[in-house]
Amino acid sequence: MLLALLLCYGGFTALCLSMDRHHAELLGCKPSARRRRGMKLGGWVLLALSLWAAVSSTGWGLGLVEWFAVLMLSALLLVLLMPYRPRLALSLAGVSLLISPVAAFAQY
Amino acid sequence: MKEGFRQAMAWLHTWAGLIFGWLLFAIFLTGTLAYFKDEISHWMQPEIPARSVSSEASLTLAQNYLQQHAAGASRWLIDLPDAREPGLSVRWQQSPAKRGERGQFTEKLLDPQTGAEVQGRETTGGEFFYRFHFQLQMPYPWGRWLSTIAAMVMFVALISGIITHKKIFKDFFTFRPRKGQRSWLDGHNAVGVLVLPFHLMITYSSLVIFMSMVMPASILASYNCDVRAFFDEVFPASSTPELAGKPAQLAPLAPLLERAREQWSGGRVGRLTVNHPGDAHASVVLVRDGADRVVHDFGSAVTFNGVTGHLLATTPEQSLPRAIAGSFYGLHMGHFAGPVLRWLYFICGLAGTAMIGTGLVVWLGKRQLKHVKSGVMPFELRLVEVLNIAGMSGLMVAVAAFFWANRLLPVDVAGRADWEVNSFFIVWGLSVLHAMARRGRAAWVEQLALAALLFGAVPVLNALTTPYHLGITLVQGDWAMAGFDLTCLGSGLFFAWAAWKMQRSGTAEAVIRQRAQPITPEREVN
Amino acid sequence: MKVLPVSYRLAVTSRVLAAVLGGYIVAALASVSLSLWASMPRADAVVTGMMTSFLAYLCAVIWCFACRSAWRAWLGLIVTSLVLAVVSGLAYWMGHS
Repeated sequence: MLLALLLCYGGFTALCLSMDRHHAELLGCKPSARRRRGMKLGGWVLLALSLWAAVSSTGWGLGLVEWFAVLMLSALLLVLLMPYRPRLALSLAGVSLLISPVAAFAQY
Repeated sequence: MKEGFRQAMAWLHTWAGLIFGWLLFAIFLTGTLAYFKDEISHWMQPEIPARSVSSEASLTLAQNYLQQHAAGASRWLIDLPDAREPGLSVRWQQSPAKRGERGQFTEKLLDPQTGAEVQGRETTGGEFFYRFHFQLQMPYPWGRWLSTIAAMVMFVALISGIITHKKIFKDFFTFRPRKGQRSWLDGHNAVGVLVLPFHLMITYSSLVIFMSMVMPASILASYNCDVRAFFDEVFPASSTPELAGKPAQLAPLAPLLERAREQWSGGRVGRLTVNHPGDAHASVVLVRDGADRVVHDFGSAVTFNGVTGHLLATTPEQSLPRAIAGSFYGLHMGHFAGPVLRWLYFICGLAGTAMIGTGLVVWLGKRQLKHVKSGVMPFELRLVEVLNIAGMSGLMVAVAAFFWANRLLPVDVAGRADWEVNSFFIVWGLSVLHAMARRGRAAWVEQLALAALLFGAVPVLNALTTPYHLGITLVQGDWAMAGFDLTCLGSGLFFAWAAWKMQRSGTAEAVIRQRAQPITPEREVN
Repeated sequence: MKVLPVSYRLAVTSRVLAAVLGGYIVAALASVSLSLWASMPRADAVVTGMMTSFLAYLCAVIWCFACRSAWRAWLGLIVTSLVLAVVSGLAYWMGHS
């Protein structure tokens, strides 16, 4: 579940950054069209990867349940952190993506 | 109502949400607590030890006990212990005096390590919250009907809310605190949308769980009103042979566990039923534990001859529709959830509770703004205010009172289980009176502060009344007990913070009121 | 709170009754139709019918509040119920002849 959680959180942060308003809140400027597209694509790819991570380790039944659980938890965490600790919210995403290879190694 | 589809759905969402909001809040809160009902029961009966023992060993102890105490019974039932329910429960049924009648049941709880009888203090424990959330302390079947009706209204409120929330994708990550009513609505949307998969699952599954009761039309039509036939098909009763009348030694039961596991390629046995123990035609039915997979397989069972060990019957594979129904059931119950997933269920349940609570606050807050200048609230709004306070903070105080009653009532008082439940309702009732007597903000602050005090002091109460306090349980690794104490402490801190915020915003509100803009869902739509 | 005309309150009450009672009838008839027409073993068809009935109930409720008048709410439900009743009756008659 940890790998799925890390990828989900990273993915949601990317999707969040692809929105003008939130990009401005978190990074101080509006994103360029290229960055917006990149963030969107990256975000969806990370979410898809997290689904694969969840299902491949525990099968479809439990895997889907775990995926939805980490999906909801990571979204909640991001949205609640952003207005209070925007830098923490961002750095958590960075850290998550950095240690996800380690988590992947541990899982397989 | 002529304003358009979204407006109509906003109207529906607002009124359905208000009228059933308080009931749904109580259902969601108690249901969320029920995810930890075994842990709550353990805290409420600290005398019963939590030990991990193998199923085979427990089963042998149970068989010996029953052989000694219930040799002449017509049926034995043995519930094996699992990680969360460490008790070994045995029941036996005497043959009824008349055919077709239910025989009398006797139930005993055994220590899974020694096989001796265990007696904890009389309490309903966590089961109280579990049963309340779908029976509502009402006589059968009215409570279930009401809670299922509430579930249907919840479903309508969820879908109408989604339709109304025009900027559901644009505002997906939006949460703007410290902006008064705007923040409450943002919060309502956040816990609603971000946890939507859970809310939809829990609501629809609760409808499916009671569907035979509330929507029997298709059963009646397809089975010519023979409801019994339908249930026999869905829950295939394992064919158990009739009494032979010849005495025969019952074989050891423990080896049957492994044979059942082979039939299910893994999986665990949850319960055994021994029919006619001591008879030549004794049969042993092993029922699968619901907790080993997500899709709940109703009545998945293996039957053996009790004397020879010969395999008599197995239940067939689940069909797709029944597997889907089983999935709804399994997902709702969450039996399969390990510790991490169980905490996530709990968090999602709290999010659902918060969604309802914030909705009620937004409903009132928006309309209260119109009467700020006059200082007098019309009766309808005052009613909503009292119900909001008593229904939310009052309910929390009542939950704490339930736990306090468990520790304060003497262990050997007769009917103490009932008195614990009475404490819950008495305190809840008092919170209504308090909310009526005090002004809105004061009532909130006082009840939240009381909740903070009662919950925060639970670990202290525990230490003063039992020897199983945090100093011991953390060291010994009794995570259920320690977790309960720590969660209560955490809740106490949360309520203290909430009370403080309420108190503070009361002084600041006088200034903000002049500048506040009423926020309405209808305006959201535009 | 502004005073709402009686006709408005009557219309709302009518829609609520239609949604609650009429919606239930539509849902029940939908479950019966589905279970009688589905080519599955009987128990499975009934289970499927019951599980999907709540979606029909939802649609009926939404219709009752989204349509332009209370009269239309009732009309829509009555027409739907009649159609479903005929469909069920057909399946029942076919199954028993």
